[in-house]
Amino acid sequence: MRKAGVWMGILFLIWSIVAFMMSSSYVYYSKYGPGPGLFPLWISGLFIVISILYIIESMRKEGVSVNEVLPKGEDLNYILKIMGSIALFILLAPYTGYSIASIVMLFILFFGKYKWYSGLGIAIVTTLILFLIFQTYLRIPLPLNPFGW
Amino acid sequence: MGTFELFFNGLLIAVTWQNLLYCFIGVTFGMIIGVLPGLGPSAGTAILLPLTFGLEAIPSIIMLAGIYYGAMYGGTITSVLINTPGEAASVVTCLDGHPLAQQGRAGVALGVAGIGSFIGGTLAVVGLCLVGPPIAKYALKFGPPEYFALLVLGMTMVIGLIGTSLVRGLIAALIGLLLAMVGTDPVQGTFRFSLGIPDLQDGFDFIPLAMGLFGISEIMLTTDSQMTAVKPAEIKGVLPRKEEWPPTLKAIGRGTVLGFFIGLIPGANSVIPTLLSYALEKKIAKDPTRFGKGAIEGVAGPETANNAYSGGALIPLFTLGIPSSPTVAILLGAFIMHGLQPGPQLFQKNPDFVWAVIASMFIGNLILLFMNLPMARYWAKLMLIPNKLLFPIILAVAALGAFSVKNSLFDVGAMFGFGVLGYLFKKLDIPLAPIVLTFILGSLIESSLSQSLVMYKGNFARFFTNPIAGTLLVLAMLILAVSFVAGLMKKKSVLASDIDN
Repeated sequence: MRKAGVWMGILFLIWSIVAFMMSSSYVYYSKYGPGPGLFPLWISGLFIVISILYIIESMRKEGVSVNEVLPKGEDLNYILKIMGSIALFILLAPYTGYSIASIVMLFILFFGKYKWYSGLGIAIVTTLILFLIFQTYLRIPLPLNPFGW
Repeated sequence: MGTFELFFNGLLIAVTWQNLLYCFIGVTFGMIIGVLPGLGPSAGTAILLPLTFGLEAIPSIIMLAGIYYGAMYGGTITSVLINTPGEAASVVTCLDGHPLAQQGRAGVALGVAGIGSFIGGTLAVVGLCLVGPPIAKYALKFGPPEYFALLVLGMTMVIGLIGTSLVRGLIAALIGLLLAMVGTDPVQGTFRFSLGIPDLQDGFDFIPLAMGLFGISEIMLTTDSQMTAVKPAEIKGVLPRKEEWPPTLKAIGRGTVLGFFIGLIPGANSVIPTLLSYALEKKIAKDPTRFGKGAIEGVAGPETANNAYSGGALIPLFTLGIPSSPTVAILLGAFIMHGLQPGPQLFQKNPDFVWAVIASMFIGNLILLFMNLPMARYWAKLMLIPNKLLFPIILAVAALGAFSVKNSLFDVGAMFGFGVLGYLFKKLDIPLAPIVLTFILGSLIESSLSQSLVMYKGNFARFFTNPIAGTLLVLAMLILAVSFVAGLMKKKSVLASDIDN
């Protein structure tokens, strides 16, 4: 099946069925009125119906193919860089502190677009400015390393 | 107190140096977001929202509203100079604005756009002052059933008007509702859909959702060829010739009325008034062939209409608590974040807030007029910033912003997840606007439904015995039916440029 919408629709269908089953485990109606299960049950039920309609709609000719959805070449590269750098940021920050994690993230994103020393330089300056705004001015408790950055 | 006195009180609050400063910062950011083609107003507002955490409600909303209407001005500059709209509402401006630039009249295009934006934006705020209080007063009579019906109607309008397919709009709306239900339920406090993950017990936060769907996905979609900057055209002289003034002003007048009224309709995005205004100007012009080759009315009308629209779109927000576009939904999120209860009570309970924000919009529009007329050439320089420099910085700001919502890295991950979702949905032509709107309204819809059902002893049919609620629900069904039929006949393609800003 080359139509991307069909695959997405199957994911929607699984999501809606799981949500429907979970909803049915919550109280539907209590003696005080509607319980926490009423609204989710109706919404996920409707979602099941619409997911099926979506799969049918996507099977038609004009649907987007899988190839159009997945990026290629340099674009794929860039998306992988975005994903990798954010994942690394989340993993690193609790251990190395915000500053190092942010510099690593930015350095990866600039890599290949700028010479490595320019990329590193912009990464450090950006991180420093953001640190000043969020940590010093807005007083957000950023994850920090033992040295305080 | 009469409207005028309330407005005057608001003005006094708006002109304190702190509020003036935040108004200035807001419109400046708005201009920047408008000028930078990689960043739309909804992404920009979401990303800058965390910067208001430390502020009081009034300066925060003054600043965020400034970003919202400021972006409408800024988007014009890129449309005219490099034929790339800075935000969706300026797509139409490319048609005649860029030919004007090629004739060496870029300044004039920006000049009439600036003047039109100012007139349209200001008159729409006057409209808000006049129409807002009576609507809010009327809506105060609404009980849970009327409110539930109104929310449903607002939602169906968003679903029905946006996108090519009703099914895809519904998918988006249902996903928004399901995401909104994650966490503690508003009725009994049960954890729903939290999968045993402690971070999910409070549910998803609005900021990572909006930043991911609109900001991160946009960055992921930018292709390699769009990474370097284009050198903009030169700007000389911003005022039109003497004989061009009368048609320009007439186009501005028509654009104002059109934009304002379309702004009142939930779900009509900012592109619709610009398209309609352009079509109208072309239709009534003596020589329609000039359009597309640098007709000045083709810039003045739509540019005015989008600014009048952005003022008009605030009326449902301030009076009913219903957002009509994703950017307005983000403003609504900011209201809630700062402890304000959106809805008809807002005018009564927080008059200082409402009127200070409204008054600040006059000031903001005035600042924008000056920023645009004499200073357009400096703004154009911003376009020289390449996306390859800008995007990583935006990602870094977004990551920090998501973190600062609850000081948790979980939200950074959530933002990123929503970014991937947004990317896939944009590729598959599933509209993003309904997700954000239903997400933010989800708990309101559920609690008003629950309260109504308690009143009606569980009998849903009794909604239709209530004249207001019944009418609104029937209207909602009609909209879905019309949208379904129109979808079958493929009549919606004109409005379906599906622009999510």
